[in-house]
Amino acid sequence: MDQTHASSPLAGAVHDLATEVVLALRSGDHLATVCGAAGIDEENRTGIAAARVIGADLLLPSVLYGRHPHPGDVAVLDRAVREFPPKPDAPAATAWSHWHMISTLQRFAPPPQGATGPGTAVGTGTTVGTGTTVGTGTTGTYAEPDAAWLENAPWQSFTHQLSVLAPLAVPAAPSAVQRAAADRAVDLARGFVRAVRRRDWLQAAGAGRWLAAIGGEPATLGLERGLDFVELMGGHDPRVTLHVRAARLMAEARAR
Amino acid sequence: MTSGNTGIQQIHDVGAKALGWLYEHREGFRLEADPAPEAGMLDRFKPLGELALIGKVIFREGVAGSQQSALAHKLLDHAWHELLGSGARLLEGQRREPLSPVPLEVYVPFRELGYRQPDLESAIRLNHRLASWAALEVLPVRRLGLSAIERRFGVEPSVPETAALAHTWLARRPEPWTVEGHIGYDITHTVFHLTDWGEKPAGLPADIAEYLELWLPTWLDDWLDLKRWDLLGELLVVDACLPEPTLDAAAWQGFAQAQQPDGAMPVVGDMPEGDEESVFDLVYHPTLVAAFASALAMSRALSDLSSEPAPA
Repeated sequence: MDQTHASSPLAGAVHDLATEVVLALRSGDHLATVCGAAGIDEENRTGIAAARVIGADLLLPSVLYGRHPHPGDVAVLDRAVREFPPKPDAPAATAWSHWHMISTLQRFAPPPQGATGPGTAVGTGTTVGTGTTVGTGTTGTYAEPDAAWLENAPWQSFTHQLSVLAPLAVPAAPSAVQRAAADRAVDLARGFVRAVRRRDWLQAAGAGRWLAAIGGEPATLGLERGLDFVELMGGHDPRVTLHVRAARLMAEARAR
Repeated sequence: MTSGNTGIQQIHDVGAKALGWLYEHREGFRLEADPAPEAGMLDRFKPLGELALIGKVIFREGVAGSQQSALAHKLLDHAWHELLGSGARLLEGQRREPLSPVPLEVYVPFRELGYRQPDLESAIRLNHRLASWAALEVLPVRRLGLSAIERRFGVEPSVPETAALAHTWLARRPEPWTVEGHIGYDITHTVFHLTDWGEKPAGLPADIAEYLELWLPTWLDDWLDLKRWDLLGELLVVDACLPEPTLDAAAWQGFAQAQQPDGAMPVVGDMPEGDEESVFDLVYHPTLVAAFASALAMSRALSDLSSEPAPA
């Protein structure tokens, strides 16, 4: 575990996980195991907490390359979902992140024996997919949280919140958050400018990833060069690089 | 420090207080009798040039209120007669540095208000015929300003304004996230020159207006946060020059709160310390800009009232 730049074991684990996601995005290797490479399994408490921080991006290489995720990664994400459910008074962004982890797991869940439809189970291939929180059919899913608060948020806080929810910026994953983002591309673009000016590279990368996912940003923003700039300036944080690479892959896919 | 007012009233009060301070401290606008030899003599005219350009707009806008209009006129009168010797000092400067464009830049707004110095005009017209005048190496935004001021004086711009504009930062509409302080001033002054310092908002080309509408909110947000009141004030002027000014509530609120009870506006952060002259030299510009931004914003807000509800 490379903790050279980490301030705590958790920060170190987050750093390692993000680094492995970046490597998998770069290589496109469908055999890659993010958690295994980072030395994290489902019994590793710090690792599970780090997986909760990275969220559904743990499976991002599979989402973007359209490949099956490594079972070990699915197991860790599933464990993170069950170990860290949002409290009733949790911030909306936490609830959304949780919701997205569940829906990402469902996206990759093969229909179980005898099931009549897709998306009815999670964590298959491991022994941990039978929890009560998730994945027992449509009635067992975590309801989509409220997103009305996003509609009236000023562009500054809107971008900040969307950036926290950057893992939701993936193709073919409709949500109220994604619709809010698509409706406010100019505000996100302004937020990108603000984040770059403030040298908040993580927020800038998250906002840029959203813009790459939804499109519609003003041409004068210079998003492609902006993402390069953010990576150049903030790429020492693998979470920044993760968003930038995700953005590039989505932008390339959109251009095709 | 804080004003209890909001919206239009707050914008009005910022201008009224700023202009009051400028008039009270008008002796601060001075030409040193014996400037240091290394300082360009004509550099000392810069504050007067800004006072003239902005004072003229406040005087003309009228909406600032008849009292402010009268104060602006008295300030200009003081500057022309007391400080510029009814133009004699400008002529003297021109004789000292014959090719300098500064006397022209300072003179034009006064001339538009009816103040005249015929001998200076002869020198300007001769200058205008020189190849060297057109060849002067200046920054693109300054070249645009010179072209505009030549037009306002009534001679053909040595470089057409559209050609001069093309070389500015703003005309290229670059990545908005690259804007730093010095680029910020290039942006505001390009807008000032294009609109004759706010007198003709229609002078903004549509593509530049659209660009500014997109990105000005991010720069207002940024310089409000940095408490850089001088540039924030200039950006509020730019806002007032847009087809649909936002009269950005947060920016105006912060700007108003930074203004001192006596009307002075600090450059950045809090008021500087020092003797009266040195404080004046530091704060006259942001205070002038505060009066300018207020007058233009009031003008736009009130003219919009006649056709549609004013922005909240």
